[in-house]
Amino acid sequence: MTKEETRPLVLIVDDSPHVTGPLRILFEETGRRVVVADSIDSAVRACEAEHVDLMLLDVTLPDGDGLSVLEILRDRPALPTVTVALTGHDDDLTVQRCRAAGCRDVLLKPVPVRDLLRHAAEWLPERVASA
Amino acid sequence: MTARTNESTNALDSSASVEARLAALELAHQHALREIAELKGRDTLKTQFLANISHDLRTPLTAIITHAEILRDGILGELSARQHESVAGIIGGGRRLLEMVGEILTYARGAANQLEIVPSEVAVVDVIEQVRRLNESLVARKHLRLEVHVAADVPRVWADREKLAHILGNLLGNAIDFTPSGGRVWVHATARHEADRDTVLIEVGDSGIGIAADHHELIFQEFAQVDASASRQHHGTGLGLTIARRLVELHGGRIWLESELGEGSRFFFTLPTQRQS
Repeated sequence: MTKEETRPLVLIVDDSPHVTGPLRILFEETGRRVVVADSIDSAVRACEAEHVDLMLLDVTLPDGDGLSVLEILRDRPALPTVTVALTGHDDDLTVQRCRAAGCRDVLLKPVPVRDLLRHAAEWLPERVASA
Repeated sequence: MTARTNESTNALDSSASVEARLAALELAHQHALREIAELKGRDTLKTQFLANISHDLRTPLTAIITHAEILRDGILGELSARQHESVAGIIGGGRRLLEMVGEILTYARGAANQLEIVPSEVAVVDVIEQVRRLNESLVARKHLRLEVHVAADVPRVWADREKLAHILGNLLGNAIDFTPSGGRVWVHATARHEADRDTVLIEVGDSGIGIAADHHELIFQEFAQVDASASRQHHGTGLGLTIARRLVELHGGRIWLESELGEGSRFFFTLPTQRQS
């Protein structure tokens, strides 16, 4: 297995390059591989193409509710190991909805980089140690 | 406008028959109703535009802040001390701008009646602590004394936690902003029984510059400023109290103040302790 293949895979699902651009730099520069999807459809296809270790999921996507990615992949091997919601609102209802759908955490955009790196170490523990 | 003037003149024309004057009055009335409807429609469009543009401003701001934080944290290489200082300026300015955009968005949603609360049972003391921590560094920088007191018998309130934090943040932010260095600001919460229900009374006070009695109602109105030069000196959108009032009222509570010029200010608001029917 090449070194490239052992690095954890992060899928960033957001339709704005303003969001995905800096996150791609952040994760790639800290030893992860990154795939970007801008819709429910492309997120599902990315998950089916290769197992995703961490999915950062915007709940509002152009083709509908971002959480439906989890609904579509439920009980399937293609379901990412960890999914974290990135939202514009962190009211109780949104948090409950995201957690009920299977999200490990719900983070409010823009997530401070230090928080994101600290969380990423929790979400991807073994892989970070070897990165 | 010309048409309406002619119609009104006809209606007032004493030589015309009563029927003709009534008909002219009715025409003028219909014309006025149409104008009101058109103005309301334009106001709604403007509010919607404000909400849309505020929402769209958040995304590129997110990019600016995140890119700058990546640089600050040395992920793309170590920075010199001066580069650090400069990048910290971008982040600080970006976060402040983000807060202001958020405030305009909340105002616009409120004006368009699109603001909703998602209430649950909330411990006031936790939200006060959250807001206190957020303002800690600002309080220290201005050498203010911040006192928090929540009475032991204060029950949980039936509120939207995020919106309650917003109300407290706006009131405490103002208290800090309008209190000179060395002054005192405080947040107190007490249980209160009103005529038909139990509420919690929250007071946010300060020993600052105070507000003259004839401005007490004005400061809650949008686009109104007690002193335009004050708003330039004490930054912000000037919408904080308008938003606070709308959010308190959405909870079924009341907000008011006691203040005199030079005597500090005490803002009070109530929140219900039980689900509203």
